[in-house]
Amino acid sequence: MIARPDAPLKVTGSATYALDNVIDGAAHGFLLLSTVAHGEVASMDVGAVRSAPGVLGVYTPFEPLTLHPVNSPLLGPMWLPLQDTNVTFHGQPIGFVVAETFEQARDAAGLVEVTYDERPAATSFADGLASAVDAQPAASEAPPSLSVLADGVASIEDALEASDVTIDATYETAAQNHAAMEPHSAVAVWAGGELTVYTGNQASHLVASDLAGGLGLPADAVRVVNPVVGGAFGGKATSMPAVLAAAAARELGRPVRAALTREQVFTATANRPATVQRITLGARGNGALVAVRHDSWSSTTPDLGFVEPTSHGTSREWYRTENLEISQKAVPLNIPPATFMRAPGEGPGSFALESAIDELAASLGMDPIALRTRNNSAAPPGKDLQWSGKHLDECFEIGAARFGWAQRSPGGRVDGDWLVGMGTATAMFPGLRFPATVGVTLHADDTATVAASGADPGTGLLGVLGIVAAESLDVDRDRVTPLLGDSRLPPGGLSGGSTATASAGSATMVAASTVIEQLLTLAASPDGPFRDREVGYAHGRVYALDGADRAPMTFGEVLRSTGRDTLGTTGTTAPGEETTKHSFGSWGAQFCEVRVHRLTREIRVSRLLGVFDAGRIINPQAARSQLMGGMIWGVSAALHEGIEFDADGRVATRDLADYLLPVNADIPDVDVRFVEHPDTLLSDLGARGLGEIGLVGMAAAVANAVHNATGVRVRRIPIRLEDLLDV
Amino acid sequence: MDIALQINGTTEHLDIAPGVTLLDALREHLGITGPKKGCDRGQCGACTVHIGGRTALSCLTLAATVRDPVTTVEGLSTSDGLHPVQQAFADQDALQCGFCTPGQIMSAVAAAAQGIDDPDEVREFMSGNLCRCSAYPNIVAAVRRAGAEERRTDATV
Repeated sequence: MIARPDAPLKVTGSATYALDNVIDGAAHGFLLLSTVAHGEVASMDVGAVRSAPGVLGVYTPFEPLTLHPVNSPLLGPMWLPLQDTNVTFHGQPIGFVVAETFEQARDAAGLVEVTYDERPAATSFADGLASAVDAQPAASEAPPSLSVLADGVASIEDALEASDVTIDATYETAAQNHAAMEPHSAVAVWAGGELTVYTGNQASHLVASDLAGGLGLPADAVRVVNPVVGGAFGGKATSMPAVLAAAAARELGRPVRAALTREQVFTATANRPATVQRITLGARGNGALVAVRHDSWSSTTPDLGFVEPTSHGTSREWYRTENLEISQKAVPLNIPPATFMRAPGEGPGSFALESAIDELAASLGMDPIALRTRNNSAAPPGKDLQWSGKHLDECFEIGAARFGWAQRSPGGRVDGDWLVGMGTATAMFPGLRFPATVGVTLHADDTATVAASGADPGTGLLGVLGIVAAESLDVDRDRVTPLLGDSRLPPGGLSGGSTATASAGSATMVAASTVIEQLLTLAASPDGPFRDREVGYAHGRVYALDGADRAPMTFGEVLRSTGRDTLGTTGTTAPGEETTKHSFGSWGAQFCEVRVHRLTREIRVSRLLGVFDAGRIINPQAARSQLMGGMIWGVSAALHEGIEFDADGRVATRDLADYLLPVNADIPDVDVRFVEHPDTLLSDLGARGLGEIGLVGMAAAVANAVHNATGVRVRRIPIRLEDLLDV
Repeated sequence: MDIALQINGTTEHLDIAPGVTLLDALREHLGITGPKKGCDRGQCGACTVHIGGRTALSCLTLAATVRDPVTTVEGLSTSDGLHPVQQAFADQDALQCGFCTPGQIMSAVAAAAQGIDDPDEVREFMSGNLCRCSAYPNIVAAVRRAGAEERRTDATV
């Protein structure tokens, strides 16, 4: 049994990613990006472009493609390219050249002469901190600041003052890019006023809706197809190449292909903001938290777009504390747009909070796990709604035993030329669901399909749907074909917020039980094979409840006997009143061992362990892989990746040699364990999400291990060799 | 210019511009889309193919310069089924989104063929192929499994 239904396609090169749709007669589009960070495009001389070989169309703010305003249901008003001459960041799309071949389009784009009326650009996050403004944390109804104070406590300062031990530290995390291996790309094909777009994304029905809006079409005139997606991680909620390719294809009357180059991905999509976080913790001598203060700053765009919700995403909920105060501010800059990236808020926020907890443990002379256990919460501070299921203590207990935590000494150990340290951290990600509709169809050949518009960008959703449908229909897995990635399928399974399994999985259960009811009604109907009998269903068969005189029939036999090829229906689920009864979250304990070279300060991660409490695990092999990938993302955040800007706002780290990602040799064996307690309070399926939690806390676990090994507390990630040199 | 390429055992004649890379020739001109364009500058490995039996980055190779036979991921499997390395990648869940997988597999075939089995040597050998989903430990397991399978088969023969 392999973990992924699409693995045979993926290992043979026959999985069809967007640009693998090679269509006769397709033209090739190439984007042109701004080379200043702020100002107006004054002129664009495209004369040489138009006369270049093979050029079919040149689109600029002065000769734009026709687009209509789009209000995305997911992301709000969408910025549309080429609609005006404003430039707000270096690397902003300002032109689109279409030619017969890729090489002709690329070469012609290089011939455009652009002049700008440049304005001063704000590009330094550090310089902007002083003038930061209050900002709404992304994806939250919460006000920027909030506090929970115990009775009789006048302020968080008073609570800190009254604490036996305090720590006060400021942490920094770098801006990041999703860097999915598949650059954003699209193939747009018009036929009879209808548009089909092949483009990797996280929810085909939402991208289809955006495209219909932008092109002024009825919703049902646009079809978006993405059976496979070459990674997304939050960065493919929208598709810039799809908008441009579709509009240009309409103008030119032929299919258009368009892809961002790797360099363009770093600016023409959107990134994770940089953050600065100040955390002040106050505790009693026994480790009990008296006060948690977490102030957060996020870089963002001049129009105050996405703000990385680090304090709201972590300190708001993680620990029991008598007093809590959190805030969120933003620094608007002339830098590329910001958006959700895997564990938005929780990722960078956990680096700060879990480093601070480690610092507090050191100040108290307590074991870091004991301090976390001491402050385990039954509900978020100031809220009555208890966690539906929280087994964090069990995660730490199992993890400590497996990892040999008892061998950790406060000053690390030495192994030859290597300083060896261990670190740990808590991981948490909210347990969420989105509305989802999934279709289940029975076929006369005794197979079934389960289908939704959402995406499997490597998450394993395809396998999850197949497993849940087979289980719900009580048939072997090889008789169920899962389908995803087509906006014509029922709208469910959006890849985001670690929601897809709980959302689309529970909708699959509803669809399956409904289709079984319909099958039974059909079987017992006047025209059915079990007319006027009481019927039941088990093991894919319909049988008579009232006697053995009638042989059971498979669902396929029932369909054939009634002259039907298929019987299908949809099931819909949505968050309901469970959210008024409990708080929901997945939890985990992260462990890391690092080895730091005594002389060169080279940092090697030598062991990783994560123990996770994510409810029921549907597909253990794929779940383990996804958590492992998340944990490696945490290592990457700690030691590798970060966007650096030049002073003029140009992204300096805009290829995969300068924007560092871990390679195979950077990563040791990774141990992933589950404590499996199904959470049926969240949904009937019992699963919570696990797409994001894998990376949460891991960067802190790495930094805490580096501290254990070297005695150096690094409060800025990614950690560089030079951070460890002054020792 | 007119060129001829031997791709997966078939000779293909093409009329292309001199600047066309082997990757674009395969994908855009021949419809062989297994090799992927992840960076187009030799940094990610998703375009890895074999030229004359050696791994090569097809995005850094001009099509017109290629004389030796080219094998892509499509050329590995036979009517008998998946190549042992392909099977091992599926079995070990050595992929998630799958976009880097064709390149990973072409490097893995070379690693297995060279008898590389020590885990650290496998990691080093496979470090030219980025995997953002970070399936690295499973990729190491798949390479070692496939190599062991090939050695077992050789011993039997």
